[in-house]
Amino acid sequence: MFNNIFKKQRYYFDSEGLLVVDMSPSSAVHYQEAVQAATQDAGFSGEDMVINFGPQHPSTHGVLRLEVVLEGELVKKVTPHLGYLHRNFEKHAEYIPYNEIVPYTDRLDYLAAMNMNLGYVLAVEKLLGLTELPERVEYIRVICAEFNRIASHLMAIGTFGLDAGAITPFLWAFRDREKILDLFEWLSGARMLYNYIWVGGVARDLPDGWVEKAKEFLDYFEPMMVEFNNLLTHNHIFIERTAHIGILPADVAINYAATGPVLRGSGVKWDLRRDQPYSIYDRFEFDIPVGEGMYGPVGSAFDRYWVRIREIEESVKILRQALDQIPEGDVFEAIPRKIRPPAGKEAYFRSEAPRGEIGFYIRSNGSDIPDRVKCRSSCFVNISLIDEISRGQLVADLVINIGSIDIVLGEVDR
Amino acid sequence: MTPQDIADKVQKQFGDAVLEFDAEALDPVIKVNPEAWFDICEFLKTDADLEFDNLVCLSGFDYGAGKELGIIIHLYSFPKRHSIAVKADLPRENPRIRSIESLWRTADWHEREVFDLYGVVFDGHPDLRRILCPDDWEGYPLRKDYEVQEFYHGIRVPYKEDWEEFDTFLKNPRRGHFVFQFERTLPANGNAKPKEKPSP
Amino acid sequence: MRTYFRNVYRSLITILIGMRQTWRHLFTPSVTLQYPHEKWDLPVGTRQQLFVNIDDCIGCYKCARICPVDCIYIDTVKAKPDEDLGKASTGNPIRQHVVRFDIDMFKCCYCNFCTTVCPTDCIYMTDKYETSVYDRSNGIYHFSKYAPDYAAKLIVDEKEAEAAKAAARAAAKEKAMAAKKAKVAE
Repeated sequence: MFNNIFKKQRYYFDSEGLLVVDMSPSSAVHYQEAVQAATQDAGFSGEDMVINFGPQHPSTHGVLRLEVVLEGELVKKVTPHLGYLHRNFEKHAEYIPYNEIVPYTDRLDYLAAMNMNLGYVLAVEKLLGLTELPERVEYIRVICAEFNRIASHLMAIGTFGLDAGAITPFLWAFRDREKILDLFEWLSGARMLYNYIWVGGVARDLPDGWVEKAKEFLDYFEPMMVEFNNLLTHNHIFIERTAHIGILPADVAINYAATGPVLRGSGVKWDLRRDQPYSIYDRFEFDIPVGEGMYGPVGSAFDRYWVRIREIEESVKILRQALDQIPEGDVFEAIPRKIRPPAGKEAYFRSEAPRGEIGFYIRSNGSDIPDRVKCRSSCFVNISLIDEISRGQLVADLVINIGSIDIVLGEVDR
Repeated sequence: MTPQDIADKVQKQFGDAVLEFDAEALDPVIKVNPEAWFDICEFLKTDADLEFDNLVCLSGFDYGAGKELGIIIHLYSFPKRHSIAVKADLPRENPRIRSIESLWRTADWHEREVFDLYGVVFDGHPDLRRILCPDDWEGYPLRKDYEVQEFYHGIRVPYKEDWEEFDTFLKNPRRGHFVFQFERTLPANGNAKPKEKPSP
Repeated sequence: MRTYFRNVYRSLITILIGMRQTWRHLFTPSVTLQYPHEKWDLPVGTRQQLFVNIDDCIGCYKCARICPVDCIYIDTVKAKPDEDLGKASTGNPIRQHVVRFDIDMFKCCYCNFCTTVCPTDCIYMTDKYETSVYDRSNGIYHFSKYAPDYAAKLIVDEKEAEAAKAAARAAAKEKAMAAKKAKVAE
């Protein structure tokens, strides 16, 4: 039956730009062969079905493609196929000077561009041995990173609700995220790709009145989080839908080197901001929320969501302290004129981005162009867990599991 | 444990397999013989004093065209709270090393990435396919002597500026049109940007 | 059975809590903007379309060099010694004809590096963001004030002048060599 469907004429353009008509049912044959091969490789009988999930699927949060082996409605195996957004950031970085890579890091995790900037810049500063920065720069960096963490988590929890079938919270989360983006636009001139944090400083000083507006936003935002919780977090249907699926034990999470809310959702109290404090995070008081298993086993999809909600509150705490303490000063004085680390030096620096640890391994060759920039992406590592946490569950829960890991394909594919 | 202690311990266990230890580096790194790569990693993971249960990052690198390739892992221990880096140099022709996927599951995709971009073959890896590039891509993009293929399935790969189009456009008498149209929509005060201007 | 009814009860209650929020927000002002008809105010220093005030450009190539995506194309011709091209508004003397200043806005990544390095502030980002065009070539903006034929003439002139200079230099060198040879022969 399917053969007939695929037996249509196919047209395509060859390398010379000529139109070629393909009369053979090769596509159908290829498809069936591929299915058979995939099922045999996985050791499944012909009863299993292989379906292709993505890359153009709204709930894959981008262009992730999953090859799912199903037995009825149960997931037997998930094989992610990456690379649809691959642009080889690392090769780009080998051709441009250190400071010009910062706009490229924006495009890694485009929902948390400030954190990406910060991670890269801190790695370069470690390479340069540039530790003494003006106080104001440090405070501005922390404020930007935490604001962006809130914006990114709002996106994550909003789309997670959307995956579970709740549309309204998504719009509410976007409304508040928009206000943060407005603050950033005022600060850096751009809404998403900021290029704001530079090596040794920041691109612009805070505009007059920015701190007051930021405080105003926090006052507005905290009650909104309560409303959001009423709307989604405490909703019984949502809890039942998410609290018993995607269970990730702590040892598996560590073995897979999961980081960020995925690791903390499994009950591991690990946050680089507290355990290996960088920048000035050691000056602030905040908690590390971990998954508590309130409504089900620890490490479920709900726990990862809950950690994000709690992290937003902690970020607000940090922001209040930072906005109160921010000193006056010159933000440009420490920007180096030339960035030329000694040849053969290498540094690995990891920092806590909203989705986990973002690590940059940089080797220098003595010139102003790096020899190698490796980005250890948190989403890339976390999404490798998808097979582990979705096996044996319903295909409808697969969507929620992807949402609970919260990937950004710009960072996965780099 | 300090990095020096860790290196001493590994040195004591493996002797000659440890080629050098750089304690002055920003991340202290042990350079090891690729033959003993897996054994040293296994020791680092299972030894009661070391317990490196977290593979933070695995990256490949290239010393330059005609030179060797390298591979480096950054390890961290949650129970003991110490870290170390281990690296090994591999020959450029037919680089092979034993996979550490069975020790840390996270090495699975990292190794696939290094295989994809550097062509390092990991023996014992269960599923060594390309991960970021398409399966039938030619060459290993992150090698310093990589040259991009001209066509991929009939699609031109290298980006080329279409200078002919540019020049014909330059000669077009109507080309000023865009500039003028744009100028008219400018704000009256023109330059609208903050005064502070550092050089990046 | 009890669990079933408890679940139903809890679901209903939590939905009602959520609905109460929604109901309350029915009476708050809307936050959406009807975009093509209404537009939001952009802050000072917003990063949108690039513009070059070509009268101030001194042809220093700094912007083209720092551009991470290489979307700025500049060609310059050195002014002749007797030519005075004036000064930029910041006081920097202009010593080059900028015969070509093209920006490919499709490649531009709006990173703002070019404006920060410009010594005369002649390249800057405006607040114009609706720049979609029908043809790809219309995304390339030309800012040079020279007509194409005049620019071509300037380039040819410079090349000729350079060639003449090189020829003169070669001739002088040959002459010197010949003189030297003659001296040796003597």
